[in-house]
Amino acid sequence: MKITYPHMGSLNMILKTMFEGINIEVVEPPPVTSKTLSIGVKYSPEFACLPYKINLGNFIEALEKGADTIIMLGGVGPCRFGYYGQVQKETLIDLGYDFKMIILDPPHGRLIDFLKDLSGYFPGVYWKDALKTFIFAVQKMIAADNLEKHLLILRAHEDKIGVTTKIYEKYVEGLKYAKNKKELDYIYREGVEKIKQNANVKRDIQLKVALVGEIYLMLEPFSNMDICKSLNELGIEVTKTDYLSDYLINSAFKLPQKLEFKRYAHGYLERDIGGHGLNTVANTVKYAEKNYDGIIQIFPFTCTPEIVAESIIAKISGDKNIPVMSLSYDEKTGEAGYQTRLEAFKDLLERQKINALK
Amino acid sequence: MGKIVGIPKALLYYNFYPMWKTFFEELGAEVITSSNTCKKIVDDGVKSCVDETCLPVKTFVGHVIDLKEKGVDYIFIPRVVSIEKRRYLCSKFLGLPDLVKNLVTDLPEIIDMKIDYYRGDDTMKKEILKVGKIFVNNSKKIYDAYLKSIEMQKKFESIMRKGLSNTEAIKAIEENSVDVKLNGNLKIALLAHSYDIMDDYICMGIIDRLRNMGANVFTTCMLDRDKIELGASKLQKDLFWTYGRDILGAGKYFIENRDIDGVISVSAFGCGPDSLTDDLLERDYKRDGKIPYMSLTIDEHTGEAGITTRLEAFIDLLRWRKGEITI
Repeated sequence: MKITYPHMGSLNMILKTMFEGINIEVVEPPPVTSKTLSIGVKYSPEFACLPYKINLGNFIEALEKGADTIIMLGGVGPCRFGYYGQVQKETLIDLGYDFKMIILDPPHGRLIDFLKDLSGYFPGVYWKDALKTFIFAVQKMIAADNLEKHLLILRAHEDKIGVTTKIYEKYVEGLKYAKNKKELDYIYREGVEKIKQNANVKRDIQLKVALVGEIYLMLEPFSNMDICKSLNELGIEVTKTDYLSDYLINSAFKLPQKLEFKRYAHGYLERDIGGHGLNTVANTVKYAEKNYDGIIQIFPFTCTPEIVAESIIAKISGDKNIPVMSLSYDEKTGEAGYQTRLEAFKDLLERQKINALK
Repeated sequence: MGKIVGIPKALLYYNFYPMWKTFFEELGAEVITSSNTCKKIVDDGVKSCVDETCLPVKTFVGHVIDLKEKGVDYIFIPRVVSIEKRRYLCSKFLGLPDLVKNLVTDLPEIIDMKIDYYRGDDTMKKEILKVGKIFVNNSKKIYDAYLKSIEMQKKFESIMRKGLSNTEAIKAIEENSVDVKLNGNLKIALLAHSYDIMDDYICMGIIDRLRNMGANVFTTCMLDRDKIELGASKLQKDLFWTYGRDILGAGKYFIENRDIDGVISVSAFGCGPDSLTDDLLERDYKRDGKIPYMSLTIDEHTGEAGITTRLEAFIDLLRWRKGEITI
């Protein structure tokens, strides 16, 4: 069995650790490039969303590399992500690939049941072993997420543009190959330290932006044209409101965060509408109240929950007096257009902040 | 006269209007609808919504504005989460009252009744009482009104199964008679959400157009439930959207049953759920290779000529396959 899966931020690092930990051969999907995207676009429904198209591209590239089993998550709606796997499977069959597809529906409540289910696909693997390697994989994910949180603040202060990104990439790669918890902690601490050493630029007007929106777009830098890097390099500190660890914890357990979201969104959106629509609205309110300077919403073109959220956060923007910009991405999106909009948004935030200080 | 409740003539109006109307009228309210969709209504909706919103929602917002201008006391914008166990509707229905309240200012009071049968429990009871109490303080009367409305829904659905479209069935109930020409010699399945094909303005009267070209049209609402269930049972994983599942179920039924000459699917530009379900269906029809399948996309820029041309070409194709015309 040669297993593969789609890319989604640091997901590759985690799944690789996990499957190799239980002695299953992994074929990593090649890194997402415009080639991946164009393969995906070619065989996807026109109005499917960007994550769908990139996933499909990942699968085709990995199958070409020799993978024979695809692991994909499922869902129970109402977001269409829950049905991606079924449609992708039919597409790949029509393209003539010989493969097995394992679609895992998210756990209802207990993580252990989920792992038991998962190990059912891999006879000879005990779920206790799987649990152990899973815990290490989760520790890696948390370390990677925390390293990124530091990056998104500190890169806005880097002495020499571009250097921080290189340091970060080096240490993320290190985390990926860490063999045990001790090594992991060491690499993480050194990574944070190295990033700090290169972050000495201080500004009189320091801008802070919160990034809200759909989770895949938030996690996979290729899909958002590395918006965090662009913002950081304009000198803006960025807070990403969703990480893979949040996502896992939220979908694995019944969680207080959901209640927190409902509380923040109250008065604007009164229930979960699927996808990350509620998170987007709640986080917009939350970060407006935390006195951030601006909010940027990112989502894939035709994402229904985010379109509902977009309609609502425009109102929050007025009520809470915080600039909000919505960016939707598809395969036709051009980088220059978005860079210009980010620069214009920065000017707006700066002017607003200077006026407030007067 | 009682208070006036306005019901927007858009989205789920086509699936539930007789029921909703009965409920409010039994409670002593007067019910009116917005006007038929026209350029102004669509323009008002387009202006109020963010660009990427689908045409049916833009139109809905236009209808809400129309009702606001008519000066009603209440506008009924239910939050329809689920109409059957374990299945949802599209995300937009789950957030519809919130979306409208944030887009349109100075609205009359919104009745945002939550309709949610997802768990199949009696959470509906509370919602029915909550809404009923706006009009009468009498629980028994409210339940009676609810039961009557359910009866009406059954009647409405049984009329559609006789081959009448949603709008025709509404008319049949309101006016007690309706004249429908059902004598075409082609059988066409028109697989789409009701709101995409029933609004004569946004879909340019597609049903009557097809009928005038000699087709008998079948929508998911006209089919017996067991046919749809039979088709849907062929799905590898049950689909979690009620209406998407109806469309797929009907589509799969016709592939097996072959009692149809062609299939037309209609969806709104950028529709999230349809992007996946239409792909699955089209794939099935291509693999089968026996029944022609055409998909149409509509938005606020759709032109009449484009629709007519494609329908005519499709009908010609079907007639040619039947040997009725030669090229």
